[in-house]
Order: sequence, then structure tokens, then C-alpha cells
Amino acid sequence: MSRAAQIGLAGAGLLALALWAWAAMGMLPVAAWPRLPFRAGEMSLDQILLAFGMMPRGVIALVAGAALGLSGALLQTVLRNPVADPTTLGISSGAQLALVLATIFAPGLLVEGRWPVAVAGAALAAALVLAVGARRGFAPVTMVIVGMLVGLTASAVATAVTLSQGQYLLSLVIWNGGSLVQQDWSGVLSLAAVLALGSLAAALLARPLRVLSLGVEGASGLGLNVAAVRSAGIAVAVGLAAAVSAELGLIGFVGLAGPALARSLGARTIPQRLVLSPVIGALILSLCDGAVLAVAGASGEMFPTGALTGLIGGPLLIWLLPRLRGSTPPGREAAEGAAPRLARPMPLLLGLLAALIAAALVLVWIGRVPGGWAILDAQSFSDFLPMRLPRLIAAASAGAALATAGALLQRLTGNPLASPEVLGVSGGAALGFAAVVYLSTAATGPMLYAGTMTGGVVALALVAAYVMRRDMPAERILLAGIAVSALASAVLSAMMASGDARSWTVLAWLSGSSSAVLMPGALALAALALLLWGAALTTARWLTILPLGAGVAGGLSLPLRRARLLLILLAGLATGAATVLVGPLSFVGLMAPHMARRAGLARPMHHVTGAALIGALLMLLADFGARMAGFPYELPLGLFASLIGAPWLLWLMMRTGK
Amino acid sequence: MTLFDIQDLTVDVPGRRLLEGISLAVPQGKVTGLIGHNGSGKSTLLKVLARQIEAGGRVEFEGRALAEWNARDYARRLAFLPQTTPPAEGMLVRELVALGRYPWHGALGRFGPDDEATVARAMEECGVARFGDRLVDTLSGGERQRVWLAMMVAQQASTLLLDEPISALDIAHAVEVMRLVRRMCHEEGRSVVVVLHEVNMAAQFCDHIVALKQGQVALEGPPSDLMQAARLEAVYSVKMEVLRRTDGQTVAVPA
Repeated sequence: MSRAAQIGLAGAGLLALALWAWAAMGMLPVAAWPRLPFRAGEMSLDQILLAFGMMPRGVIALVAGAALGLSGALLQTVLRNPVADPTTLGISSGAQLALVLATIFAPGLLVEGRWPVAVAGAALAAALVLAVGARRGFAPVTMVIVGMLVGLTASAVATAVTLSQGQYLLSLVIWNGGSLVQQDWSGVLSLAAVLALGSLAAALLARPLRVLSLGVEGASGLGLNVAAVRSAGIAVAVGLAAAVSAELGLIGFVGLAGPALARSLGARTIPQRLVLSPVIGALILSLCDGAVLAVAGASGEMFPTGALTGLIGGPLLIWLLPRLRGSTPPGREAAEGAAPRLARPMPLLLGLLAALIAAALVLVWIGRVPGGWAILDAQSFSDFLPMRLPRLIAAASAGAALATAGALLQRLTGNPLASPEVLGVSGGAALGFAAVVYLSTAATGPMLYAGTMTGGVVALALVAAYVMRRDMPAERILLAGIAVSALASAVLSAMMASGDARSWTVLAWLSGSSSAVLMPGALALAALALLLWGAALTTARWLTILPLGAGVAGGLSLPLRRARLLLILLAGLATGAATVLVGPLSFVGLMAPHMARRAGLARPMHHVTGAALIGALLMLLADFGARMAGFPYELPLGLFASLIGAPWLLWLMMRTGK
Repeated sequence: MTLFDIQDLTVDVPGRRLLEGISLAVPQGKVTGLIGHNGSGKSTLLKVLARQIEAGGRVEFEGRALAEWNARDYARRLAFLPQTTPPAEGMLVRELVALGRYPWHGALGRFGPDDEATVARAMEECGVARFGDRLVDTLSGGERQRVWLAMMVAQQASTLLLDEPISALDIAHAVEVMRLVRRMCHEEGRSVVVVLHEVNMAAQFCDHIVALKQGQVALEGPPSDLMQAARLEAVYSVKMEVLRRTDGQTVAVPA
């Protein structure tokens, strides 16, 4: 490590100390600080606040930062993936979901401390991501996409549960945000113990990990038990991340930033990285908390520190992406084996269309009444039609638009895991919506709509700027979208953590609902879906060639950059429009193209059309389910769709190959 | 007649120079083999010729600088096959070969009877006509490679650039593919530039050899120039012995 880097680190440490000291001295001049050992009985109130609030807070920032840095460094080494970290692999979200579920359904489990519950959730999430990753050669991009999907799903379930149990909302959300506020030294002590154990384990693992860095074949050739070393490394990393999650909540991306900075400061060998990453992680979290303290000043805590680290995460990912080496070897992504191909796809497509029309008719006519089901008579039919028709049209159109966008993206990137959900448009749209809710005193419908669209467009522009880079493999475009999503979710959780009534509005929108749609909106969405379908058909030849990769496409004089840009814009537009209706998460955009392909629709025209029809059908059914499952109350549409979609998806990804 | 006229070509990536000051004249109507050790820059040179990467210096194709060609005209004159052919998920052989017509009909133009006939002829020429309705991914390695060659033929380009087309094939399929390449060149009046790993394959199937070493041209000339112990050692940095077969062909083996 260079001299400048050492000085830089020392400077950062001093700055963090200064920020903390400034906040502490704002509470009480140094002369009046309590002496060791702290005895609460002999202290003034201010002294108690300092000794059992401010001081442990300063220390826990260091300890938690170090634990996250170490966790990230271990994950990155074990998986040989420079963007692995507890956040990107869904581990933290798994811990969060477990804690939310335990808080609401089995508070007794938390008596022994949050730790075991958090570890169980984190381990489950990690196991899921790794199981999928193992089938795909632990390809870095795939790992992150799977991790994000698992994380998003966990958050969706957590949101659903939170919505259904409003009274717990406040404490959960505050915990989610990753606040570093402390009331005593117990958190510091337990986290320090975990960190000490983790460091010991990491020291023991350092040498096997160096062998593992040769890759699986090389390492097992040298007689290393690869599976054992991998599981040990990941277990330690999961334990560390879960401990931080249990103690402080979601503190994103410190595990990503620590090792990344360590590497760019010249930590070349694995022992160097394992030492330097926790140091840098501790400094980062400490600086962030110092900044939060400085902003908060005397006026009290505005937002939790975890939200601030989340803000760093998005830009950091974007910076790291071009450095990501080792693209997935071609063909490794398709874990399911060859999909069948129908010789005559027309009957299937017509059948799907017929099913869609039949479903729409049936859903208009039947409904649930208190005490059973009923087919509407003529009178109630004409009464209900103006209410039902728009939402049916809107739901089907949203489904079709998302599915078409998904099919476009999957063909563009050649990655079957691509989906509008990870494109970042939804995240941007959600941010736009939330910004309007928070910034205006009385937000009107059009204002919300405008805000949502603006957010989506800005996110899209960011991703598009990335697409314009010539040397970028298509699948990494997805990672730019993921970075935007990460940024959005960090900001959202910060907003939520402020815990006022407005967060309800955002939360309700996030889960998606079609109940408020009126006819003009529904028809506009339908027109857009049709337009998108038409546009997709005119680009059918591009969609045939693009999955073959840049080399072939370039050789055939396909305007690669223009094609990518246009398709991304189309997909983004569709996603944005549908997001306004169903919220940012539904998985329809991922599921429908998959189902179409597995049903044997291989050529782009048939694939896109089939995906659109299936998407519309899925969304109609989800809308029906959302209306009926909790009758007479209505569940949010997007949430209902994702609760169906997520398990199906995981099942699909877990299926064994050929 | 010169196909490619290369003057002082240089390619840099951050921290490394891949090609340095290459000046070459690649002849028309011949099979030109690019050989060299790993990392010598032979694939890089081919990708520059295919306009897949940018380079410093001046390269002319058929008398016009590379940058002056528009993408579609270039693809009509020249076809490129990447080293690893990607999986063609769910695609029929006929459909893959038909993609070669893209530079002619573009994204929206009609795929007419002429295109149909060209595709049929291309499949015939490469001996894949009977696979027409099979899925590409169900074919064997050698058959698949011939399908990709048929796609290049359907492109109706007079120049074919092939990046290690036989590196993943066993010897029987490798010979079969190289014979096809040679026939495509000599009987149909095309020019071929092919990157090859194996020196004996290059000597047997190429008319002209360009050997690269550490990003520079180490040797240029007919295969007989290359197949001499001292020159082979200069290119590959390993002692080689040249044996003569009964039919007069020479074979190089490590000494």
C-alpha cells in the first residue's frame, strides 16, 4: 500500500473521530465528561446520555463497519465476484424478513435476542442464492441478479406482512433503516464478540482461500476441499452480516465498499484484503454516522445511517461494474436444458388469445358476494361494468406490457434472468412517486403521475447512458439497472424511517393496486401495450440476432448501439407505464416470457406475442385473486402477483439441467 | 491484388500494447493463415479487420479505408465468424443461415425469393441442406461449424474472416471444415483470412502465412517459407524439426 493511501486512511480516521467528537462536545464539554467506570447512579442526565448513548454509538459504528467489511471481503473472495456483498446477495434482506416475521407472528422467538432469528433468515437467503448460483457456475452477474431477486422478494413479503399489521409498522421501519442509536453497551459487546470470532475464523481461512482464488478446478487439483472451504467462508460471512442486521438493521453496501476500496488502494493478496477491508469498512460506517450526527446536530435524528450508506451503494456499483471481469461463459446461463420448439405455434397463440378473452368475460360476470359466489344479473352487471371494465383492461394491459418488456430484455441480453424489475425503471419511478408525496403538501393525481414518470425516465436515461458504452457486454446493462434499484430502495427506506403518515401512501403504492384506475387511463395503457407489441414485432430480426452476441451481430452489420438503446427505451417505457398501475414489483415481466418459451414459442414474433398474452392472462388472474382472496377487503395487485410469481421463479431457477 | 492493405497498425488496451506497427498486404483470392503463439495478437488483428475493435494506423479493404465503409456495405463484402460461436437457442438451421441475409434486407426489408434461393444454395455448398429443419444446438460440433459457414456464404461476402474455426473440433471434423474452407475460397473465388492454432494445419490448408510474435509480424510468405526449422523456432520460441512426408509435404514437430 502506498504512502498516500496510508495517509488517506489515517486522515479519514481522524475526520471520523472529529465528527464524533464535535457531536459529543455539543452535548457536553470535555471537562464534564464522565470518568470510568461509568456508574449511572452518580451521573447527570447529560452524562448518562453521553456514556450510554454517544460513546457506544461511536464504537458500534466501527465494530459494525468492520464486521460488514470482513463479511464482504470473505464473500468476494469465496465467490470470486467483486460485487458480492451481504446486500447484493440478498443476505441482509433475508435477515430482515426473518425478523419481521418473528416480530409479528412469534415474538417469543426474539426473547433470546434477535441474533438467532436473523442468522436463520440470512442463512436461508444465502443458501437459496448459492443453490441457484451453483447451477450457473457462480457467474458474478447471475449471482447478483439472483441475489437482488431474492432480496426484492423478501422485501415484498415483508411489505405485505407489514401492511397487514399496521400497528407494528413504526418499530419495524425504524429497525429496517439501520439506525445506530444506542442505549447501552450491550450491542457493542455482543457485536465485538462476533467480530472477534469472525476475525479468528477469517485468519484460519486465509490460506485455503488463497488456494481457492485459483478457481475450483485448480484448487481441488491442489487437494483443497473446495466445498468445505466455500461453505466455511460463506458461513462466517453470513454470521457477521446477520449479527449486524440483528443489532442495527439494514446497513447496505459497506461490505461492498470496504473490499473495493481495499483493492484500489493496492491490497493485492488475500490476507491484505482480509485485514484492510474491515478497517476501511469501519472508517466508512464511522464517517457516515459522523455525517448523520453532524446533520442531525441539536435538532435530532433526521434519517438513519443505514440510509446514507445505501446512497453510496448505487454510485459505487456503477463505478465497479466496468471492472467486473469474467463474463459468463456462453451457454452457462441456460440451466434448464433446451426448451422445446413447436413446429406450428399458431394454434397455441390463438388458444391463448381465446383463453384471455374467455377469462375477461368470466371475470366481468362472476363475483363474490357475502356468503358465496354469484353470477351477476343484468341489473348488477350494468351497475358494476363501469367499475370493473377499466381495471380489467388496465390489469391485462399492464401484464402484457411488462411481459413484452421482459421478452425484449431477455433477448437483448441473452440472459433468461433479465426482467423489467431489475431494469431500475421501477425503482426510479418509485422514487419519483415518493418525492412528490413528500415534497408537496397536497399531491394530486396528475402530479403523482408526472413525478412517477419523471423518476422512471431519469433512471432509464442513466441505464441508457451505460448502454452507449461500446465495450459493455449486454448482461452488464442489467447491473446498471440493479444499481439504480439499490439506490432507490435505500432512499425509500430512509423516507419510510421518518415514520410519518405519508410513508403509508408510498407503501400502499409500492404494493400496487388497480382499484383506482379510470377508463381513460386504462385505455391509454392498453394502447401503449399494443404499440409496444407492434414495435417489438418490427424489431423481430434484431431480436433474432441479438442473442447470438456482439460478434455475430456486428459481423451482420446490425447497428448494435442503436438497437440496444431503442430496445431499452421501449422496455423502460412499458415498465414505467405499467409500474404506475401495479407498483414496482410483479415478476410478470420475468415469468411470462419464460412460460412462452417453455411452451415452445421460439421465434421472436411468436415468443413476444405469446409472452404478452400470457402476461395479460397472469395479471387478470392476479387481479381476480387480489380481489377475492381477502374478500371483502382487497389485497394489492402487484403484491399478490409477486407472491405467486416469486416462488414459481425460484422453483424454475432451482430446477436441474439436462 | 491486395485485399487488405495494412499500414502501421497499433492496438492498445490499458497498460498493454497488443499490436505494434503492423504493416502487411493480405492477398486477394487466397487462404491467408494468421498464426503465432498465445497472446501474439492474431485474434486481435482479425478483429480489427472485422471492425470489431478500434485501432490506430491505417487499414484499407479493397482500396478504401475501413472507417469509410458503412456497416451494411462492409457486411455485404466481408463476413466474420467469432472464435466461440454462441448457442443459437431454439433456432433452426435454416433460420440461422437465413440471418446471413440481414445485411441485404435489413431490419424491415422483404425476405424475397432471391434471398430464399441464396440461402438454399449456401446450405447446399456447405453440405448442411439435409439438416435444414433441425435445431442448431442438436448438431455435432463439426456440423454446427459448417452451418455457421453456410450463414457466411448466405451473406454473399467475397471475403471470410474466421477466428480459430477448428479449435473445438476433433481431427476428422477439423480436416473436413478446413477442406470446405479451402474449396469455398478456390472454387468460388472468395478470399479467406483464418486464425489457426496448429502450424501443420496452417501449412497444409493455407496459401499464404502471416506469423505474429508479441504483436509484431515475424514472418510473411508462402507456407514453404515458414516450414523451416530456424523460422519456426523464431516464431514459436521452441526448437522445431521439419519432416518430409512421402508425398513431399512438410510436417513440423517439436524437436
